[in-house]
Amino acid sequence: MKTQPPILADKLLKWFCAPHLLENIQGDLHEEFEYQVKRIGVRRARWRYWWEILGFMKPRYIKRKPTQYPTTYSYSPDMLQNYFKIAVRNLLKNRTFSLINITGLAIGLVCCLAIGLYVWDEYQYDRAVPQFEQTYRVTERQKQATGLYDIAVTPGPLAPALKNDFPEITETVRVGAWSGLLQYQQTAVEPEAMRVVDPSFLSFFGFKLLKGNPQTVLSSPDEIVISEAVAERFFGKDWRAQFILGKTIHYNQERPLRLSGIVENAPARSHLQFDVLLPFKYFELNDKWSYNWGSNNYHTYLKIRPDNDVAAFGQKLAGQLKNYDKGNETPLLLQPLRDIHLYSDFDFGTDWGKHGDIRYVRIFIIVGLIVLLIALFNFINLSTARATQRAREVGVRKSVGALRSSLIAQFWGESLLMTSLALGVGLLLLQLLMPFFNELSGKVMAVPFQQPLFGAFMVGLLLFISFLTGLYPAFYLSSFRPVSVLKGIFDKKSGAGFRKTLVVTQFVMSIVLIIGTVGLYRQLQFIQNKKLGFDKEQLLYVRLKGDTRQKAMTLKELLTKQSSIASVSATTSTLVNMQNTSYIEWDGKTPKNEFLITQMNVDADFLKTTGMTLAAGRNFSPAIASDTSDKFGTYLINETAARRMGWTPQKALGKKVNFWGLDGKIVGVLRDFHFRPMNVKIEPFIVRFRPKEFYFNLLIKTRPTQTQRALADIARIYKKIEPNQLFSYGFVNEDLGRQYAIEQRTGQLLLCFSILTILIACLGLFGLATFTAEQRIKEIGIRKVMGASIASITTLLSKDFIKLVLIANGIAFPLAYYGLNHWLEDFEYRIGIEWWVFVVAGITAIGISFLTVSFQAIKAALMNPVKSLKTE
Amino acid sequence: MKRTYLGEFEEIVLLTVAVLDGQAYGVVLMHEIIEQTGRSVRLNQVHSALQRLEEKGMVNSEMGEPTNERGGRRKRLFSVTAYGHRTLQEIQEVRVSFWSRLTSPLKLSV
Repeated sequence: MKTQPPILADKLLKWFCAPHLLENIQGDLHEEFEYQVKRIGVRRARWRYWWEILGFMKPRYIKRKPTQYPTTYSYSPDMLQNYFKIAVRNLLKNRTFSLINITGLAIGLVCCLAIGLYVWDEYQYDRAVPQFEQTYRVTERQKQATGLYDIAVTPGPLAPALKNDFPEITETVRVGAWSGLLQYQQTAVEPEAMRVVDPSFLSFFGFKLLKGNPQTVLSSPDEIVISEAVAERFFGKDWRAQFILGKTIHYNQERPLRLSGIVENAPARSHLQFDVLLPFKYFELNDKWSYNWGSNNYHTYLKIRPDNDVAAFGQKLAGQLKNYDKGNETPLLLQPLRDIHLYSDFDFGTDWGKHGDIRYVRIFIIVGLIVLLIALFNFINLSTARATQRAREVGVRKSVGALRSSLIAQFWGESLLMTSLALGVGLLLLQLLMPFFNELSGKVMAVPFQQPLFGAFMVGLLLFISFLTGLYPAFYLSSFRPVSVLKGIFDKKSGAGFRKTLVVTQFVMSIVLIIGTVGLYRQLQFIQNKKLGFDKEQLLYVRLKGDTRQKAMTLKELLTKQSSIASVSATTSTLVNMQNTSYIEWDGKTPKNEFLITQMNVDADFLKTTGMTLAAGRNFSPAIASDTSDKFGTYLINETAARRMGWTPQKALGKKVNFWGLDGKIVGVLRDFHFRPMNVKIEPFIVRFRPKEFYFNLLIKTRPTQTQRALADIARIYKKIEPNQLFSYGFVNEDLGRQYAIEQRTGQLLLCFSILTILIACLGLFGLATFTAEQRIKEIGIRKVMGASIASITTLLSKDFIKLVLIANGIAFPLAYYGLNHWLEDFEYRIGIEWWVFVVAGITAIGISFLTVSFQAIKAALMNPVKSLKTE
Repeated sequence: MKRTYLGEFEEIVLLTVAVLDGQAYGVVLMHEIIEQTGRSVRLNQVHSALQRLEEKGMVNSEMGEPTNERGGRRKRLFSVTAYGHRTLQEIQEVRVSFWSRLTSPLKLSV
């Protein structure tokens, strides 16, 4: 076989050598190589070959021969200028289209960006904590009679025990919730979020101490650390300039505490909210609930060494509790800090942090994408619909030598230009709408224009969106054959199928959103108007604090005398989301039908004040001796409790039960009432009558239209009885509504977005209708000349679009049904999904789109045929 | 008299093309020159000389038949143009006239 010269050398030559010289040079080289192989052998011939090739690396051989025909580089400044000029001319020539295009896209982008900011913010929680990734909270999964319950709290001694036994743990901290009144000289403050914490709290979470010694703060029992906000309330705006450390602040008027530090206000993006910190030390020494293994009162946080396997550690930890607390099989779980804000779902109100909800974050992400998608579809639709107008341009460009690639580049460039304009308008709108959006979302956000990351993201978004919007038009327009488009043979229907699909998709999404919003609102309304089993109107509560608890009855008597007040009852709870559950014993109880029962202590006026009714039996009475006995309990239970115990309301009367170690009997059965949010079923409930125990609230029923006067009366009397305490009250009605705050907020946001989506979709429809009317202008003229009526022409033009919306309805209904059903399953008490919601949504969509289309159709139908037919 | 300047190597290449009489192309020219002058010549030198000569109009070229040892590539065959011939002749005449005016013939020093 013939020896071949080195391939690599040949490749090199082929690369640098001018094509018109290549054949000759390479031929000579090969001939020479063959000669040299015979003369000096293959190895040296190869070296020589390389040597010869390197000799040809000279400009003379590299320089390409200029071609006979001039070519224009696609991206030469001249061409770019031309593309730009044409793009601007097109924008201005079709002002309506451009406006529709840019506005639609801008609105879509505003929604998408606003939602993006919201979601981003939700994911930023607690990120400022040092070693964020290694931080966990220990939680429990308790097995109770009625099932498994996730509890966010753990026993007080757990943290030091774990720290002692596991070398993997670097740091721990305990956080407990507390409440009380603080007083400094004449100023009294009732903190909203008092926390009991270990000294490591500040360094663990990275909270800054503004005044005080971070090494020693919170390490002795009688200290107090307050936040900036509380400091301002105690010492005035200029607290920074005063020497306030070491001052004495009284807790509940009895315990003097030394002010040892001022901490920054809790960051907004932190699940931990606090305004006063008390040292755990005190509770460790004095409060048996804090050093016992038997009660769960504290959030336990820990950090583990970065090089440790979390899964393995988690397994070791799971069964640890029984080593400390004999017989306690409850598993301990690790909840990563990153999950606390969005994924916390704990029972019995054991998680007192500030929380988001991943489900609603997901809903928003989906809605944001839908809005963006609808806007993108508009853009694509209108660009392709206008293709006929650009067809000639494409034909001319191609015949004078434009390559398809340069046409694609041109149209992509145009969509980049349009998208840039839309993004610019969108950012401006976003900035303007930010206050409104903040109000809707309940956050404090700003468009982060200064952040380089945001800038980079915007550029990325711009490129991505213009890529998407330009994709179809660029390939579609550039595929025209110059011969046919210049001859005027142009398939006007081309791309129509694609456009129709997009329109249908747009309307499917809009209709789904409309149905979703209507469903959500109906459910919210249902929840708020559902009969709760008691009368929540004109019902307010006054908190009893400290000493006032002993004086509850005096206060009650004074209040009852006021003409503005209908009735007063002392209770332990406010009827809102009650979760204080315990076990109960009764005649005929077996381990199988055991359950947890929620309890509250009331007085005899409870039924009168709340308007609850009895299914059987009698109310408590102070006049009956056995009712007020110390040795024997008297109880009311609800119907559910009676049923679970295996009795009808009638049968339950007089039955013996043992609750909290006290024997007693049931004297009456209350009709079921809702004491938890509507996502939970009505559970068993027991009402105790223990007038000698503490009450925490007064429930007050005011007379209709006398609420303001009643409030003034209460404040006056409260002041008289308890001059040192702050009067705090609330309306049961409002507190009940607040339970659904997140649903309401979502509802409002969804409403806004579904209005926007239908708006954008109609904007697109309007554009398409305008376009069709323009295209068929001659046809309409001829029809009119032949005697067609305005109505028939309007129908002719509208029916195609309405058909699309009808199809969209057909697709949207099952989707919406599925989605809404899924969401409603969270609620134990929910509306049925009724057919009329679909009809209303469908008719709305059809109606709005008909209005949009017929506006153009009628305009076209009213046109004078002379005008449209005389020019060609 | 104004004429195109011809380099020494170009002159040798032009002469060799004339000698080979229509059968001249890169490799053959190189071997011939090496053989006749004994100097080491590289292929690229021959090619650039030929290009320059062609630009000056002293040679013209045409594509020949492909051969096997060239891997099926064609060779470019060069021949001297009339202008090339005249130039060679002029150079020769100038040299001859100088030689004839030499009073004492040169002694070979080798």
